[in-house]
Formats: sequence, structure tokens, C-alpha cells
Amino acid sequence: MKRTVVPVGPFHPIQEEPEFFQLTVEGERVVDADVRLSYNHRGIEKLCQDLTYDQIPFLLARICGICSASHPMAFCQALEDLCGVEVPMRGRYLRSIICELERIHSHLLWVGLAGHFIGYNTVFMWAWKYREPVLDLCEKFTGNRNHYENFKVGGCRRDLPQEAIPETRELVNSLVEPVTMLTNAVLDDPVLHWRLKGIGVLSEKDAKQWCVTGPTARGSGVKIDVRADEPYAAYDLVDWDVKCVSEGDVFAKAVVRLLETLESIEIIKKCLDQIEPGAIETEVREMPKGEGIGHAEAPRGETFHYVRSDGTNYPIRYKVRAPTYMNLPSFKSSMIGAELADAMLIVAAMDPCYSCTERVAVVEKRRGKKNVLTQDELLARCVSKTEKIMSELGRKPLELPYE
Amino acid sequence: MSQEAVLQLLRDQVEHLVDDIFVRNKKRIYIDTPPESTLEVNRILFAELGGRLATASGIDTRDRIEVLYHYCLDPDGQVVTVRTWGWKPEPEIDSVAQIFPGAQFVEREMFDLLGIKFRNHPDPRRLILADDWPEGEYPLQRDFPKRRSESEYVERIEKMVRTES
Repeated sequence: MKRTVVPVGPFHPIQEEPEFFQLTVEGERVVDADVRLSYNHRGIEKLCQDLTYDQIPFLLARICGICSASHPMAFCQALEDLCGVEVPMRGRYLRSIICELERIHSHLLWVGLAGHFIGYNTVFMWAWKYREPVLDLCEKFTGNRNHYENFKVGGCRRDLPQEAIPETRELVNSLVEPVTMLTNAVLDDPVLHWRLKGIGVLSEKDAKQWCVTGPTARGSGVKIDVRADEPYAAYDLVDWDVKCVSEGDVFAKAVVRLLETLESIEIIKKCLDQIEPGAIETEVREMPKGEGIGHAEAPRGETFHYVRSDGTNYPIRYKVRAPTYMNLPSFKSSMIGAELADAMLIVAAMDPCYSCTERVAVVEKRRGKKNVLTQDELLARCVSKTEKIMSELGRKPLELPYE
Repeated sequence: MSQEAVLQLLRDQVEHLVDDIFVRNKKRIYIDTPPESTLEVNRILFAELGGRLATASGIDTRDRIEVLYHYCLDPDGQVVTVRTWGWKPEPEIDSVAQIFPGAQFVEREMFDLLGIKFRNHPDPRRLILADDWPEGEYPLQRDFPKRRSESEYVERIEKMVRTES
């Protein structure tokens, strides 16, 4: 059969991860996939070499608008690894609470966008509605809805007043019901089972070969989670479970994310129960010479930072590795054999940025004819497959109760 | 496994290939490896000890370029770092990506930014830098940006204009 190359991308500059996928298709089947990235390289590592250790977390928070707690968290761990300081108890709990709030809002954002992608706009509206109070909570804890700037080497910058804790607990409790409802609504829907199961399967063996992390790995039965394997912050002080399923398809990744959201709420509740008044930071006056490694579990997987210090105020090398960097190449395994209508969904299941799919050019090699598809047209392909399944099953779109 | 057990395992498996194995703290192990046995040490860590390659960092230390492969031994909560190097001005080491594909991206990145050549890399294309980035300029090397004379700039701009027209 004739092979056609479908370039997806390269980028949409207002969002953070412009990527470029080049899919080789035979008819509707993807037979080969290639990924290119770094269309918006910002030189963060080079910039870090000119900043002091106190300034770096502010830059790192801006690597990603969503993981703005995980990168500074990994930075603090790397520096604490280098100079061997211990964070006081209250500081550890505060760190855990902020990291979990970040995970909840990131996963809800993903659920909403995934719903939008397959034509379930109600899921999109509801998930984003429930995300709002989480952002308000972040504001309560750190002063910002996003870009928390709350972590520093040795502890936290801002404390939560002890008297604000009951109110916070109430807000967190109010999240349980809507998130459970959303989880059940998504997991019980037969159309979603038909649409998402068996698509974009990443086997356990491939997951290990490509060294993937986070929900992408846990959806494929690889039970890794930095929070459990090398506990930081307060994760060894509260009881919680690593959520892991073994199917490896898009549905499995959705299940992992939804269950994790509920688990995160539980972790925050337990942290709020156990937190006690006290110091929030250990003062660090000097950075010794040496090297340090820190890693933390971001919503999308493990962030990994390496620092080398020569004893001055500036690092001589700072290395940042974001989770998508390891997860993205695994497309080579999960994309091949998929239909073109599912390609966008497989991209989405890994939770990179959607921005890259803004413009698609279909190039037919032999005739040299070029045909540009917009995001709407590609989205329409994805939605129409869902509608086809719905009509075959004789079902209407997912209906959630309106208030 | 405790750190002592991991350390013992490493001593049994790779000690004859490496210069030094040492412990920084209770979660971090470093292995100093000469370039000729890097490939074998990485293979043992990935295939036999079940390590997951977290990433690799390259550092320009003036006369050589160090490459550190960081492996997470997840069930044990340990991070094992394999440190190797290539000599400047033309650093070259064996590619780990020929053992498993997860190392492809990071090695392509290190070639772009630090100029290390990876022998037998399955897909040695550019990853980070633009296609029209000049050859032989590596932004994370210490002497970057290189000083240029005015005439060099004029020459480059003229060349760009020529290729566009």
C-alpha cells in the first residue's frame, strides 16, 4: 500500500511544549512515527549557571506552568542532597500538601482535555469547574494560584497559619464528592471503554526499554513512584498506595490518573491531620563543593535534577530532566499500528502539551500535493470516531447531572 | 535491598571494570568508569540490575567532557551514577543507546550541546539545536559564545543572504 507522511506540528508558541510528530501512514494505519522537539528551547540550564542558589527556584518554577512545584522540589532535594540538611517536620508536610494540590489540578486538567478530545465536552466543563477550588487552595497556601514559589533549600518560604487549617480541611473534603462522581462517570461509561481500550498499548517490556516514568509507566504495570521508592517531603509519614494497572492502553492511563487524584486528596487530608506547629525551614548558609542529585514525582512522572557546585554561590552545571522527555520517545512503540483518528488521543494520553497539534499538513509524497488540516478538522476526525461507536452502541453522549 | 547489599552486588559485578565505586550518602552511589568499559558497565546496570536510566548529564571540565549516566534502582530507592569522560577537543565515547532505546534522546542532546560523539548511536541526528545552527559550536561548552571578528559576522550574514536568494 502507498505510504503517506503526516507531519503533526511543529508548534504553537503560547504553550509550553511544542513538539513535532511525523507519522508515516498506510491508509489509516500508522506504520512509523518520529518525534522532534525543542522548537522553543529556552536555555534554562545555561541560565541557571548565572543565578544564585536562592534565585534558581524562581526560574525553575517557570519551566512549566503546571509542574511549578515539582521542579523547585527536585532542585531543593538536589541541594539538600549536596549539603546534607534535614527539613523540619512542618516544612515536610507543607511540601507534600503543595505537591499533591499540584497533582490534583494537573490530573483534572488532563481529564478535562482528554474529554474534549473525544467529544465529551461535559467532562471538560466539569473537570475544569472542580479544578477551580484546587487553585483557590493553592492561593491560600502559597499566595499564588500557580507558580507557588514556596520551596527553598532547607524548607519552605511561607507558612500556613495554624488557624486556617480547619477551613482548608473543609475545602479539601468538598473535593471528594465531585471527583468521585467524575471518576465513576468516566469509568462506567461503555462508550469510553470501546473508544479507549486497546488503543496505544505500551507493553511492560517496552515501558522498561524506553525508561518511561509516572502514570505512563504505572499504566503499563511498572510500579514505580519516587514518592514511594525514595520518600521525600512527608510521603513516608502518611499511609498511601501507589496506583498501578497493567493494560498499558489509553484507558489504563486515565484510570491511573483518576485514582491518583483521589489518593492525593487522601494524602492531603492525612497531612492536615498530622501537621503540627513548628519551624518550616533549616537555614543553609553555605554551599559546599560537590555534586547532588534530586528527583521528585511530578504529575506526569519523575523530574530529575543534577547539580555540581564549586563552593561558590553559583552552580557550575545544572541539569534538568522533565518527565515528558523520557515519556515522549515511547511513542515509537505505542503509536505504531494505531489509526490516524487515534493518534491524537495517544499523544494526549501521555499528557504532553496539546498545543503541538494546532496545525497538520498532510503531504502525499508521490503527487507532491499538500493539504493542510487545521486542529478543528483533526479534532473532528477524533470526535467522529467516538460518535460512530456511540451510534453502534445506541447510546447518547455521557450525561452528568446538572446542578 | 539495603545500600550495603546493592554495593556488594555492584562490587561483584563491575568492580574489575571500573576505577572506583563510592558512596556519597545513604541513597547515592557513584561509579567512576574509564571510557573503554562504559558500555559494559551500563549494560550490567540496565539489563542485570534492572536499573532505569533517569537521564545523563554532560559537564565540560575544561580538558575533558564528563558524562554521567544516572540509573534509578527503584525498588531499592538508590540512584547509581556511572561517571565517564571523553577527552577534548574531540570527545568520543560508546553509545549506550545501542543497548536500549531509552538513551537515544539524551545522547542526541549531549551531542548537540556539548559536542560528544557517541559511537554506534542508532539515530545520530540533531535534537535540541536548529537545523541551521553552525557546525562545531556547542552552547554548553565553556568557551561558548566564541568571540568573532567583524569580518566573520559580515561573511556569515552574506552567506545567509546568498542561501536565501
